[in-house]
Amino acid sequence: MTEKHKQFIRNLVPIFTLLILVFGIAAYEPGFLRPRNLMTVTADTMTLFLMASGATLVIMLGSIDLSIQAIASMTSCIVAAMLPMFGGTALLFALAAGAAAGILSGLVVNYLRIPSFVATLAIGGIMTSVAFWASNERSIYISDEDKLVWLNWATGTTAGIDHEVVVGLAVLAVLSVILSLTRFGRLVRAVGSQERAVVASGINVNGVKFFAFVISGFMAGLAGLVMAARLGSGSPTLASEFLLPAIACIIVGGTAITGGVGSIWKTFVGALIIAVVRIGMTFVGVTVFAQQIVFGLVLVLAVAMTIDRTKVSVVK
Amino acid sequence: MKTVLELRNVTKEFPGVRALDSVNLHVGRNEVVGLIGENGAGKSTLVKILAGIHRINEGEMLFEGKPTSFRSPRDAFNHGLAMVFQEQSIIQTLTVAENIFLGREQEFLRFGIIDKRSMNSAAKVELAKVHLNCEPSEKCSKLDFAARQMVEIAKALSLDGRLDSDIVILLDEPTSVLERREINLLFEIIGELKAKASIIFISHRLDEVLEVSDRIYVLRDGAVVHETASADASITGLHEHMVGRQLDHEYYRENKQRSSFGDPVLSVRDLTIDGELRNLSVDLAAGEILGLAGVVGSGREAFARCLGGLMLPSSGEILIDGKPVKLNQPNQAVDSGFGFVPSERKSEGIVSGLSVAENMTLAAGKRFSRFGFIRFDRERTECQHWIKRLQIRTPSVKTPMQSLSGGNQQKVVLSKWQIVGSKVAVLDHPTRGIDVGAKEDVYELIREMADQGIAIVLLGDTLEEVIGLSNRILVLRDGEVSAQFDAPAGAKPDQLDLISNMV
Repeated sequence: MTEKHKQFIRNLVPIFTLLILVFGIAAYEPGFLRPRNLMTVTADTMTLFLMASGATLVIMLGSIDLSIQAIASMTSCIVAAMLPMFGGTALLFALAAGAAAGILSGLVVNYLRIPSFVATLAIGGIMTSVAFWASNERSIYISDEDKLVWLNWATGTTAGIDHEVVVGLAVLAVLSVILSLTRFGRLVRAVGSQERAVVASGINVNGVKFFAFVISGFMAGLAGLVMAARLGSGSPTLASEFLLPAIACIIVGGTAITGGVGSIWKTFVGALIIAVVRIGMTFVGVTVFAQQIVFGLVLVLAVAMTIDRTKVSVVK
Repeated sequence: MKTVLELRNVTKEFPGVRALDSVNLHVGRNEVVGLIGENGAGKSTLVKILAGIHRINEGEMLFEGKPTSFRSPRDAFNHGLAMVFQEQSIIQTLTVAENIFLGREQEFLRFGIIDKRSMNSAAKVELAKVHLNCEPSEKCSKLDFAARQMVEIAKALSLDGRLDSDIVILLDEPTSVLERREINLLFEIIGELKAKASIIFISHRLDEVLEVSDRIYVLRDGAVVHETASADASITGLHEHMVGRQLDHEYYRENKQRSSFGDPVLSVRDLTIDGELRNLSVDLAAGEILGLAGVVGSGREAFARCLGGLMLPSSGEILIDGKPVKLNQPNQAVDSGFGFVPSERKSEGIVSGLSVAENMTLAAGKRFSRFGFIRFDRERTECQHWIKRLQIRTPSVKTPMQSLSGGNQQKVVLSKWQIVGSKVAVLDHPTRGIDVGAKEDVYELIREMADQGIAIVLLGDTLEEVIGLSNRILVLRDGEVSAQFDAPAGAKPDQLDLISNMV
């Protein structure tokens, strides 16, 4: 078997894993396969996917973004607090705030030369404080009227298709195009594969990193909007528990934590795997609190399987 | 004489390269064995096999007559084979004594705690063996390079008296950064060591090898091509065995060497890089090949990296076509017309995760994209053209770079700068680690680039390569130009003349 075939099979592992899990649950509960149910499960998964979608680019660079859950919580607060006064402008403002958080991370990484995990951890902390400030430290409810007028694009249903799924697929399409057809997308892979060679070729590597962080921040912000729309409220801790599953679904999908290898559809599949695992655990009777144990284990396992050992001579 | 270490028909292959080809070698007790060979001859592979970093494909290694395979450098060390590497393994944040006894602290444990005093006094004994007068409790970061090298040797010597078995000490290019006085001291120490241990001495300085060794092996293209007692050897004889031929004009395509050049392209005025290079001035015309000769630390690597935008100049001026350019960053260098081919191909030359085409157009992105979207058709056509022209062996333009051989990878790197249209190609060891046939292809390619009017700054892998390819040679020593030679086809300067200006 050639290296090409091996790569092909490795690419298919996540999809097979997903199918096995789905049919495993269906064996327990045949109703699981009903189209309406599958649609609901997919729609439920989209917030997780949105959070992980932009961060996938950052991980492909070989960096990491640990601020996405804080950014999502923050934009949920901003949109909930501003909708009554500003209407639709609140949505733009929330998205801009998400992108701004990404800009900050990008600047800190590039100009202060701080490793991304520290930089984004710190920026995440700042964003959490912004969320507390914007929300006066509590949950803010979104009125049904505002929800219907301004957030129906995220939560409604058209012709039997939940809008969350439409948003998710749109993001999947746009980011996939960016990654595979644009120069920026190619450079993301290049930097993740061999940054020094890219630098020596005269490429502005800082610019590539910067945009990846901005996209990650923006997508996390979008995830926060959709979450707020679904729950009908914004809260500074809305997405707190999402960081671990978000990183897990990127890695489970087959994007390497060491950078250079990955794609958005992999994260899409990874998110579905995580969602199905979660549902499966509920079936089996694992409590919500114990589920994080499983996500932790899944993450370690997936990293162990996808990591490029030649790149990691020393583990710190 | 009892044989301590022996290699029998040892063969080591890497994908696409046979690095060692049935090597036979033995080291006797109390013997100093010299090992010489050009870059790429297989010396470092041999060292790594002895150290337990690489495994043997075929053949066997015997230590004290028993078949042995070391699992790691530490394992080799514990069995009595100590290495002193070119790149030092001293940990700068630890003290001298801690470095000498790293990993062997049990000896000094008292109730589970290291007894610093007894460790320091034991270190004192080891330091005396290398005549190094420093406090064992001093941090290694406080020592200069030569002193750290001595600590490294002291660490190897500390095996003496602690093991029942014989001791072999391997010195890999130990003199390359030492001053003459320190080299003399080292040779004195080696003389004393002989009574207790066997020594393998690796160097590219033939005079030193001759001076210090009892017996010498010459490696070429992965095989032992010559073995001689030092008493019967001469520098010129060893050199011929090492190179394998008289200086060959065909090999470096001397018949294709240009004798007239285009307009001046590059001017360097009083370029200084603190601690590396002082007041270098040189002019270079289109189509001219400028060779840089010098030992490690002479400043030639710094100069090359500076032209690539990877090292900041402290003062001086660089002009392209008469206009001053700034080279503070690699993108400025590329925009100014420089194309830098780094010596470390795997980490700086290629992006192994990208395809052949993606590597070729990496630096010329704007030409192959519109509104940020890649123009795949245009890219494919251009890359196929270069693959054909440079005879790059690859199944397709989409093949991942990592599955190409070293020589073909290097051709891709060279094509990258031709696609950009660089005016000055800076080639830092362009033939390092590629096999002989591929080297010839690269030489051909360098001649072609010169014909197209690209000015070339060349740091050769060997002195012979610099002489064979260049129109003109600058010799650098301690950061300054010590001599300049014209090297027209048919009237090439002599190696020994260059060497006398290098050291």
